[in-house]
Amino acid sequence: MGNKQTIFTPEQLDAYQDCTFFTRKEILRLFYRYRDLAPQLVPLSYINKPDVKLPYELIGSMAELKDNPFRQRIAEVFSEDGEGNMTLDDFLDMFSVLSEMAPRDLKAYYAFKIYDFNNDDYICKSDLEKTVNKLTRNELTPEEVSLVCDKVIDEADQDNDGKLSVEDFQHMIVRAPDFLSTFHIRI
Amino acid sequence: MEPRWAQTGRDGPDDDDWGQQQPPSSLFLQLPSNATLRFRGNVAKAWGAALDEGEPPGAPQERDGEGAREQESVPLKQLPLCMAEKRILRLREQRVAWKRSRWEQWQVGMRHLWGQVRGALLYAQVWRGSLHRIEGHFGTGIQSYFNFLRFLVLLNLGGALLMVGFVVAPNAAFEGLQLNQTQRGQNSMVNRSCLQYDPTERGLVSYFTYLMDLLSGTGFMELTHLFYGYYQNSAVDFVGFSYNIPLAYLLSVLGYFSVCLLWIVHRAVHLLKRSLVGENWELSTYSHKVFAGWDFCLAPGTAAAMKHNSLRYELRMDLEEQTLRRLMAQRSPGQRLALFSLRGALNLLVLGLLGAAFYGVYRATEYSQRAQQDTSPGQQGLVLGLLVAYLPSIVITAANQLVPLAFGLLVRLERYPLSLEIRLTLLRTVFLRLSSLLVLLFSLWTQITCHGDPAADSCRICHYNHQQHPCWETSVGQEMYKLLVFDLLVLLLVLLLVEFPRKLLVTHGPAPLARLLGQQEFLVPPNVLDLVYSQTVCWVGTAFSPLLPLLHAAKFILFFYLKKLTLFSNCRPADRTFRASISSFFFLLVLLLGLAIAWVPLLYSVFVLQPSQACGPFRGEPTMWSTLWVAIDTLPLVAREFLQFVGSLAFAVPLFLLLCILMFYLMALDHSYSCLVKELKGQLRLEGQDKVFLVTQITELS
Repeated sequence: MGNKQTIFTPEQLDAYQDCTFFTRKEILRLFYRYRDLAPQLVPLSYINKPDVKLPYELIGSMAELKDNPFRQRIAEVFSEDGEGNMTLDDFLDMFSVLSEMAPRDLKAYYAFKIYDFNNDDYICKSDLEKTVNKLTRNELTPEEVSLVCDKVIDEADQDNDGKLSVEDFQHMIVRAPDFLSTFHIRI
Repeated sequence: MEPRWAQTGRDGPDDDDWGQQQPPSSLFLQLPSNATLRFRGNVAKAWGAALDEGEPPGAPQERDGEGAREQESVPLKQLPLCMAEKRILRLREQRVAWKRSRWEQWQVGMRHLWGQVRGALLYAQVWRGSLHRIEGHFGTGIQSYFNFLRFLVLLNLGGALLMVGFVVAPNAAFEGLQLNQTQRGQNSMVNRSCLQYDPTERGLVSYFTYLMDLLSGTGFMELTHLFYGYYQNSAVDFVGFSYNIPLAYLLSVLGYFSVCLLWIVHRAVHLLKRSLVGENWELSTYSHKVFAGWDFCLAPGTAAAMKHNSLRYELRMDLEEQTLRRLMAQRSPGQRLALFSLRGALNLLVLGLLGAAFYGVYRATEYSQRAQQDTSPGQQGLVLGLLVAYLPSIVITAANQLVPLAFGLLVRLERYPLSLEIRLTLLRTVFLRLSSLLVLLFSLWTQITCHGDPAADSCRICHYNHQQHPCWETSVGQEMYKLLVFDLLVLLLVLLLVEFPRKLLVTHGPAPLARLLGQQEFLVPPNVLDLVYSQTVCWVGTAFSPLLPLLHAAKFILFFYLKKLTLFSNCRPADRTFRASISSFFFLLVLLLGLAIAWVPLLYSVFVLQPSQACGPFRGEPTMWSTLWVAIDTLPLVAREFLQFVGSLAFAVPLFLLLCILMFYLMALDHSYSCLVKELKGQLRLEGQDKVFLVTQITELS
C-alpha cells in the first residue's frame, strides 16, 4: 500500500478532484477498488500514465454492479471504446456520475445514454421493450410489455415522433422526484 | 475503427414498426438539435482538438445557458464529458485563471471551500452506515422511514437542549448552590384549601408502589424536575441580575415550539424543491416506474430479486387498474347510483367507528382519573393499579391498531382504484390517531374545569377542580408520560410476542401455515404515523413536563435500533414500491398537522386556564401569560410600546390582509405560468410535426 504520493502526482490528484465529485481519500479508495479487480494488470503507480484497460467481465463482477440489469449498458456508456472495457479514468467518471452529489441533469443525460440500447440518440420502442424486459427479467407477457411501452411513449413523448429524444427524457425525469435517489450507487 | 455510436444507419427494422414512411435516421443525425449531444469514445480526441482551436461549430453550451463557461458558473465536474476532455478544459481554464481579478479569485476560493464543507457535513451525518445498509437491502422507500426517525431524534435533542438549558439546568444549579430565592405571586388572597398539595407517600409504603410510581409518574416521581409541579414561582438573584423562573419557563416552551416549526418547515421546503412537482405527476407513473424504478443501490442477492418481483407486480397492477378504470367509465347510471349509495353507507359506518373509538377513549380517561383519585395506590394490587392508570393509553393504542384494520376491509368494498384506496385509508388513519389524542385532552379538560362550568360545586373556590387535581398541569404531564412509556412497552411486546414468533413459524413451521402467514412486510405508512403520533404526544406534554423531549429522544434512539433489528431479522421488502420523495413531504405535512394540534392545548392553557395555586412556577398568577405582561412592564418605554403595538389588533389585521394579498398574487402567478407551459407544449408538438414533415419532403426531393 503506497501513500498517495507514489500512486498519483499532486497535479493528477488535483485534476481528479476538479473533474469528479470525489475527495482525495475517495479517489484513492476507488483506485484500490479498481486495482483489486485485477492486481496483476493494474500497476501501483499512475505517475507515468500507464494505458491499462480492464475487460468488461471484471467490471461487471463488482458487488455494486453484479445484480444490476443495466450493468452492461453502464459499462458501455462510460467506456472509451464503447465495449465496456474501462480505464481508471472511465471508472472514476462512472462512479462520480452515479454518486449522490451529481446533479440531476448530469445523471439524466447519462441515464438517457444507458437506456438507448441501439445508440441512435432516441429511445425508441425496441429500446423500451429491452428496458422493461431487463427490469422484469422477461417475466411479463409480450402484450403486457408492449402495452407498457406504448404508455411510456404516450406519457413522455412531447414532439410526437413516436420515440423519446433527449429533451423529452430530461423533461420527464425532472418530474420524477425519485430519480435522484434511485440512480445512485454508493461505493 | 468506426465506433458503435456511428453505426446507426442500420436501424431499418425499427422504422418499419411504426407503419409509416420514416426518413432514414441519418438525416436526423445531422440536425442541429442532435449536435447538442456530446459523444464519448473516439470522438473525445476530435472534440478536444476542436476545443483547442476555439469555439466549436456545434455550440453545445446553449443548454447550459448563455455564455456559462466563461464565468465558470457551471463547475467542471458537472459537465457530461469524458475525463480527457475535462482535463483539457481544466488546463484552458487555468491559463485564463491568472488573468482574473482578486475579487473573482476570492469568489472561486469561497465556492471551493463551501463545496468542501458540504462534503464534510455529508460525512458527519449520524447513522450513515446503517442507512446505507438499509438502502442496499430494502430500497429507498424503507430508508425514508429511518431518515424520518433520525430527523425526529435530532429535533428532540435540539428541543431538549433548549428546555434543559433554560429551565431544568438553572433550577438544578440554583438548588445545588442554595441561592437566595425571592418568592413572587400574590398568595394572600387565596383560599387555604386550594393550596393543599402533597403527593408524597406517608406511613408504610409497599414495595411495589415505587414501581407503580415509576411507571405512572406519581408519588416520588411527581416532585422531581420531570414535572411542572416541582418548579417554584420565584426569581433568583444570580451574578448581578435576577433570573425570573416562570418567565424563563414560558419563553423556553414557546421558543421550543417555534424552533420545531421553523425546522420542520425548512426541511419540508428543502424536500419540496427536490421533488419539483410542477404539474400532475400522476400522468407519468409508467415512465417513472420504467426509468426511475430500479434502485441502483441495491445489494446483490435477494434484494435485487425482490426488486424485480416488485417491479413486475407493480406494472401488472397498473395495467389491471387501467382496465378497471375503463370498465368503471362504462358503468350505467343505475350501477353508478348503487355504487354511490354503497359508498355513502360505508362512509357513515366509518364515522360510526370513529365515534365509537372516541367515546371509548373519553370514558376510559374519565374512569381512570376518578379511580386513581378515589382509591390510594396501596389498596389495589400492582397489576390492577397499573391497568387502571394505563387505561386511556390501552384504549387509544387498541383503537389505533384495530380501527385501521376495519378501514382496510371497508375500503375494499368501496371499489376505488388501488392508489385511491391506499390514500383514503391513510387519510382516515391520520384523522383517527390525531383526533383520539384530542379526545383524551378534552376528557382531561372536562374533569379539570368541571365541564367548563366555573359555578359548579368543585370548581367554585379555585376555578379548577382542586380536589381531584390539586396540581392539574402535573396530571396532564403524567398522562403524556404514561403514553410515552406505554408506547415503548407495546413496541417491545409486539416485537417479542408477534414478530419474532411469526418469523420462527414461517421458517421452521409446517409449510401450509408458513404460506398462509407469509413473512412480515415492513409497511412504511403505519410506522410513520406511529412516529407522528409519538411526536405529537411529546409536543403536547412539553409545557407540563420539561424533560419530555429528552425522554422522547432516548425513546426514538431505542426505536431506531429495535426497528432495524426487526427489519433485518423478520421482514421482507414491500410488494409495492414506496415513493420515497413525495411521501417524505407528505409525512412532514402530517407532522406539521400534529404540531398545529399541539399548539391548541398549549395556547389554551397559557391564555385561558388558571394555573394551579398549590404548585408550579405560575402559582398565584391569574394566567400564565400574565407573567409576560408583568415582565414587559419592567422594560424601557420604547420597547414596551413597541411590543404592545405588535400584540395589538392594529398590527395583526393589516399583516393578515397583506399576507392574503401576497397569497392571491402568487396563485395568479402560478396560474399564468401553467397556462404558458401548456401553450409552449402545444408549440413544441407542432414543431416536432413540422420537423418530420420537412425531413420527409427533403428526402423525397433528393
